[in-house]
Amino acid sequence: MAKAYTPGLKVTARTTYRVRRLLPVPGDVRVKVGDSVSAETVVAETFLEGDVFPIKVAGMLSVNPAELMPLMLKRAGDTVQVGDALARSKGIFGMMKTEAKSTATGTLESVSESTGMVIIRGAKTPVQVRAYVAGKIIEVIANEGVVVETDALFVQGIFGVGGETWGPLMIAGKSHAEDLLEEHINASMKGAIVVGGARMTAGGIRRAREVGVAALICGGIDDADLRDVLGYDLGVAVTGSEKIGITLLVTEGFGDIAMAKRTFQLLLAHAGKMASVNGATQIRAGVMRPEIAVPLGQASSGEIFTGGATAGILNIGTPVRIIRDPHFGLLGSVSALPEQPAVLGSGSKARVLEVALESGQRVIVPRANVELVGD
Amino acid sequence: MFARIVKWDYLALVARNANANRWQKISSALIFCVIALGSFGASGVESKVDSKVDSRGKIPLNELGQEVIAPPAATSITAEDVAWDAGGVIKISWQPAAGITSATKWIVERSEVLVDGQGSGQGSGQGPWTLVAEVPIEEKYAVASKLSPEASYFFRVTAVSPNGSSAVTTTKSAVTGHWNFFIGAKLPLFCAILLVSACVINFILAARRGRPMKVRRIAALEAIKDAVGRATEMGRSILFVPGIQDMDNIQTVAGLTVLGNVSRTAAEYDAAIEVPTSRSLVMEAAREAVQASYLAAGRADAYNADAIRYITDEQFGFVAYVSGRMVREKPAACFYMGCFFAESLILAETGNSIGAIQIAGTAESSQLPFFVAACDYTLIGEEFMAASAYLSGEPDQIGSLKGQDLAKAIAAIVIVIGVVLATMAVIAPSGPIPAALAWLKGVLGS
Amino acid sequence: MRIVATDCGSTTTKAILIEEKDGVFRQTFRGEAPTTVEEPFADVTLGVANSVTELQELSGYKLIADDGTIIRRKNASDPDGCDLYISTSSAGGGLQMMVAGVVREMTAESAKRAALGAGAIVMDTIASNDRRKPHEQIQRIRELRPDMVLVSGGTDGGDTKKVIEIAELIAPARPRPRFGGEYKLPLIFAGNKEARETIERVFSGEGFALSVVDNLRPTLERENLGPARERIHDVFLEHVMAHAPGYDKLMTWANAPIMPTPGAVGDILQTIAKGRGINVVGVDIGGATTDMFSVFGGVFNRTVSANLGMSYSISNVCAEAGMDSVLRWVHLDMDERELRNRVKNKMIRPTTIPQTLEALVFEQAVSREALRLAYIQHKSFATTLKGVQQQRTVGDAFSQKEAGGSLVDNMSLDLMVASGGVLSHAPRMEQTALMMIDAFEPEGFTEIAKDSIFMMPHLGVLASVNPRAAMEVFEKDCLVVLGWCVAPRGEVRAGRPAFDFTLRRANEVVAQGQLIGGEMRLVRFGHGEVGTLEVRPERGLDMGSGPGKPVTREVRGGAVGIVLDGRGRPLKLPTSAVERRACVEQWLKALEVYE
Repeated sequence: MAKAYTPGLKVTARTTYRVRRLLPVPGDVRVKVGDSVSAETVVAETFLEGDVFPIKVAGMLSVNPAELMPLMLKRAGDTVQVGDALARSKGIFGMMKTEAKSTATGTLESVSESTGMVIIRGAKTPVQVRAYVAGKIIEVIANEGVVVETDALFVQGIFGVGGETWGPLMIAGKSHAEDLLEEHINASMKGAIVVGGARMTAGGIRRAREVGVAALICGGIDDADLRDVLGYDLGVAVTGSEKIGITLLVTEGFGDIAMAKRTFQLLLAHAGKMASVNGATQIRAGVMRPEIAVPLGQASSGEIFTGGATAGILNIGTPVRIIRDPHFGLLGSVSALPEQPAVLGSGSKARVLEVALESGQRVIVPRANVELVGD
Repeated sequence: MFARIVKWDYLALVARNANANRWQKISSALIFCVIALGSFGASGVESKVDSKVDSRGKIPLNELGQEVIAPPAATSITAEDVAWDAGGVIKISWQPAAGITSATKWIVERSEVLVDGQGSGQGSGQGPWTLVAEVPIEEKYAVASKLSPEASYFFRVTAVSPNGSSAVTTTKSAVTGHWNFFIGAKLPLFCAILLVSACVINFILAARRGRPMKVRRIAALEAIKDAVGRATEMGRSILFVPGIQDMDNIQTVAGLTVLGNVSRTAAEYDAAIEVPTSRSLVMEAAREAVQASYLAAGRADAYNADAIRYITDEQFGFVAYVSGRMVREKPAACFYMGCFFAESLILAETGNSIGAIQIAGTAESSQLPFFVAACDYTLIGEEFMAASAYLSGEPDQIGSLKGQDLAKAIAAIVIVIGVVLATMAVIAPSGPIPAALAWLKGVLGS
Repeated sequence: MRIVATDCGSTTTKAILIEEKDGVFRQTFRGEAPTTVEEPFADVTLGVANSVTELQELSGYKLIADDGTIIRRKNASDPDGCDLYISTSSAGGGLQMMVAGVVREMTAESAKRAALGAGAIVMDTIASNDRRKPHEQIQRIRELRPDMVLVSGGTDGGDTKKVIEIAELIAPARPRPRFGGEYKLPLIFAGNKEARETIERVFSGEGFALSVVDNLRPTLERENLGPARERIHDVFLEHVMAHAPGYDKLMTWANAPIMPTPGAVGDILQTIAKGRGINVVGVDIGGATTDMFSVFGGVFNRTVSANLGMSYSISNVCAEAGMDSVLRWVHLDMDERELRNRVKNKMIRPTTIPQTLEALVFEQAVSREALRLAYIQHKSFATTLKGVQQQRTVGDAFSQKEAGGSLVDNMSLDLMVASGGVLSHAPRMEQTALMMIDAFEPEGFTEIAKDSIFMMPHLGVLASVNPRAAMEVFEKDCLVVLGWCVAPRGEVRAGRPAFDFTLRRANEVVAQGQLIGGEMRLVRFGHGEVGTLEVRPERGLDMGSGPGKPVTREVRGGAVGIVLDGRGRPLKLPTSAVERRACVEQWLKALEVYE
């Protein structure tokens, strides 16, 4: 039997975190190897090709596309503004000439003699890539981007919405098991990464958005509240590009669920430091989980982590989290690993394991329904 | 009235379509029953009536074959105006004297009171006596109709036997038929109109409120996209012929509605559309319709007015042009929507031979078989008229269509009732059934 | 003869061993290992070798050489190695394509059919009448990152203007391929042959690898998908696969071209439908997508319902169908808020499996809705050709049928094949059968089977090399016959008789009785048993010979037996919650679904 990997989320007090910062299309890199950068530093920039606007000029002039060329007033490469005449028909005895006016601003890219279509290319749009985490540039990929490295406290969440953001880490509430309520958020949290305990409530989220919190990190969220924030029911867990003004990140899952105590305490220990958060989640082939990185300075810890999914092998004593009802969210450690498949309550046969819960109780769950916790 | 409301083409329409609404199916079945029963019932009634007339024509004689003495006159006579009418009807009733058995009939006569006082009759200021009715001796009343409203009349009645006539009995005073605003006999018809209007209005309101109105799919209209798409893929044009009649013909108007939809689809697909017309006014209307469609589709730049042109008013000159054009240009889709006559088959056959998808629509029942045989899809009669509602999908039009359908269903039910009554009246000639039948006939004005 | 076949899925690589014994091909062993396309391994052959190693351990034959390659037999007496190695692949998200045509319902649809039939995922279809403005189309093309583009349009000798217009939109948009960098985007042109020269000029610039094949719609009356499909396969191997880690090596190992997994499944279903002369519907419900295949009257169709799946897309199924539609299949008390959170938790942790009966019931309810929605999509796609001239006689005046009607007809459907986790791993066969019946609503007599271990992809490729072996293994080892569904078309009245039935085995009556409207009944009829079933439907109900007409057919037994379904078609559940639950409970009990 081949080795079966059990997925897990990385929660580690100190790791060397490397992040590749790449441009979508080739451009200029603004930093060099060895530079120290902050999260906001622009490391690379370029211009994206402008939008394309096709205009059917032959149709506008009621001429055959093949006869269009001599009538064109603008040539390929010319700059055009909205309203500029692109071509003019001959008319009758020099009278009743019609003009085809441009409906876009940009550069005339091409004129087709087979279809009579003129292509206008809009202005280029600048694209900037920032460092995202404070650290050191360790590699420059020519024309594409850089690799930033830093030692950091690193926590992977299970699910998030909203993109990259950064700010000082602040703790709301007192315990890992306390819901994040409206009163936990105050005006001083503007632009901060706010860590709550258990579930983020609808009131808490609303207040955080009003105040201008950069990111909220909690144990859980209710499906209905997520729907309210997004304005639609999320069908597939591919997120990161939402424009909701805040990044939300949950470490455990949906529903009433407390943040793992260790995660909470790690974050608590670094309250006040600058943290970087990315809510982008992609649960597909090439899984991507949301993450929190708190740079800790440059001293190297040896272990290098570049993001992505983590997985490990189950052994007796391995700390695990049960990730499916009826014991959803409970933490414990593996206490037995029976070889033979067992029949579950649902009637299916599956390989199982026994988990000793923190409460001391022992439960049997399918191996597929646990994930590793810890480093 | 039946013929007006339940058009033949409607019958054909509902009967032919397996997808018709359930009630449409039922009503169409009933209508066919009605027609079958109706013809049967009518012939039965006529023969009975004939035999009655025969028996009545014989004159009874006494045992010796001698004549009997003249009958006695009626003892009294009254005349009164019939209420809720146009003033042209007066009812005359009288009381026969005892021992009148030898008489065979009553003769009722009238005499108008002339304003200038001239007249040759027996009463002062009376006109000549004219016959109102001859009624069997058993009857005690008669109705004088077709009188001049607001004119006054004297009436008299005479009993007649083979031996001679009785003395006349004349009304004491003149009676005037008054003109009424509302004609009572038409009340049921008025109710029927109210009912039909209520149906239509109710459906329109319901449609406006957003109640879903199911209209049976009409394959020919759904196929417009197919036809236009074919033209687009094959890089050929679309030919649309809106009939050979002018704008005063309702079918031309319906055809132009369809043209609006076809040209809108053509604009979306960016296909060329050609509309030859045989009337100048139709050309103008067609240009309007096509241009509006191109605007609505956001492709105003692609609209070409020259493709919509007037050819000639001459029927066969027009046909010669269109079929010649079809053979040369080979359009991939041909639409014939409007009023067609002899040219229908010429056009449709030419279109078929060049391999075009053809969609036709006309209410000319004599041309339908040609279109059906030669075209891919045909809108038949009422379908063609309903096309604008179907295509627009506007609540007002759809609601009105549904309301009219319901009214037609009601008419069909009335027909069924009439046929059943008429049939039963033949089986049981007396009693309430013939009376009900007579009432129904009166209501429907036949 | 010894054949090794592998299927490299996005998470696991499955290997099977097929051996010829006494002149009959049988599948003997199977092995499984994680797929190794992504980092840190980045070499698909490692996973293939691991899975074949498992075969080696189980079978006792030496199949993997020390250098990790598959050993070939020199002759039939050689104890080690195999004679034939074949593989399919859907790793790395499969083959993602963008297609374009002139009219969406005509050439663009044919292009989509060609791409789907070849096993691709169609990311978008661009057409001149797709109601998008040209600049919106360009925007869309730029957003997509396809592996390949298929452009069609115009019949031969037909339109050139619009197909060139489309090409002129694609060329400046320069869609970026997924593999980035130096990769030239393969573009296949299968449109009007008169437009070829211009198309070649338009795409002469850098960034495109243009290849031209025969028009896939030479006339509107005829669809010619073969050349385009084959070219998609070739390009898939030459360009797409060549850029995936390790595939260059795998290609040299294989005796037949590596096929995209769904393409191979389509091939085997077509082979079966043709061989047995039947109409088939096949479904593969996955975590993210649902693939639907059908062969009706010899015409093959495939659709992929992206975002209808049981794990990654489970939340989308609930959103699209509505929680009410899902819960109508549930006979237990469930809290809706709790369920919604559970659905989302399954979405973010897609690998978990239901542990309790309640969770299983819910997951199977979701699967019914996912299958139902996917089947609706399939039906609207699997149509006859549109834009075709109709031939009519005067007699047709009363029955004008539209072109482009759906080919899928549940009454003429003979066989349904279920595969995919939730269907093939259901603890009880009865559950699989009922899920299929509820979702597909088969009419008349329909055989239900499931793919035992998702072997269809392997057999699809095998069919191209050794059709006999593929057929034999398909019939004997791949398909597990569950039984038959017998259901009348038409509306039944609750509490009134729906149909009478008599099941005979060699003239001996095995079972008979009467089905009441809304009732379901199961007649156990074991594997290998053959009998004749006579049904006499009530007036207005159709079993295949017309309303009210009795039907007698031969039936084969299966793991479930014969399911007599008196619920009528289309299937309607009572609207009142109490009645509905009572009905569902009766059905579950009658079929012994959760015993």
